[in-house]
Amino acid sequence: MRSPTNLGRGSIGFNMTPMIDVVFLLIIFFLVSSHLARQETQVAVDLPDAVSSDRPEEEDVRRLFVNVLSENRILVGSQPIESARLETLLNYESQRSLGAGSARPLEVRIRTDRTVPYRAVEPILLACARSGIWNVKFAVVGSPK
Amino acid sequence: MRAPSRHDNERQPLEVKMTPMIDVIFLLLIFFVTTSSFQPPEEVLPTNMSLPGSTSETVEIDPLEEDLDEIVVKVLWRQGGPRWEVNQREYQNLDQVGGVLTAVVGFQDDLPVILDVEGVVPMESVIDVYDLCRQIGLQRIQFAAAAGT
Repeated sequence: MRSPTNLGRGSIGFNMTPMIDVVFLLIIFFLVSSHLARQETQVAVDLPDAVSSDRPEEEDVRRLFVNVLSENRILVGSQPIESARLETLLNYESQRSLGAGSARPLEVRIRTDRTVPYRAVEPILLACARSGIWNVKFAVVGSPK
Repeated sequence: MRAPSRHDNERQPLEVKMTPMIDVIFLLLIFFVTTSSFQPPEEVLPTNMSLPGSTSETVEIDPLEEDLDEIVVKVLWRQGGPRWEVNQREYQNLDQVGGVLTAVVGFQDDLPVILDVEGVVPMESVIDVYDLCRQIGLQRIQFAAAAGT
């Protein structure tokens, strides 16, 4: 590639085009990797289908993901937890949100495998109700309407 | 960048370099390949727990003064499949349940629905019933829980 000389020209003598391409590429890369990173941190669960589901909103809440993989395996975030301790944990998290004045409200998202029996999830709902957590959502896969 | 120069004032023909064009196309290709995920996007079904601000001890569902009726949908598990009871009437088919609920909503909307689910029913069936109620337009759907568990 022949670079034009600066004789008789007042402008910088290099091509801006590849520079713009590289900057654009970097922007796209960081956008995509942050989007993918957010999805990949969740545990893989075979969620049930629903037609009337809503898009998850980007609200300013503190989200607690309770993953119920099978009747005996409950993970909070990615940490396994015994069902006996779950209520204590929910209580603690709820107190944290209610106590500090400027703390963001708590949302509990229950992600269950579709084959998990209801008796594994009922204590979670009970514990949420007892701890005063009202913002409880089920994660589902959207089906066509 | 070298463009052919003419000494007279004729307009110069547009000479387009293909290299940046190829870069941009390649970039778009990479972008769409990486953002495509073969997992369906996850969505949410909100539940109506007790309203914010109220005390959280009530897990028994009390019929409110202004409602004379409530719909109790029991979800059972018989012979390896789900069965449904709406106000003590049995149904074998989820579509029938949907029909009954739609008819009831026609008479009186804003009825609370109480889902009484047996322990062995898988979440898939529970979500199916919950979803059906939401589709029909019932907003006050609550899960019955035995106090003391």
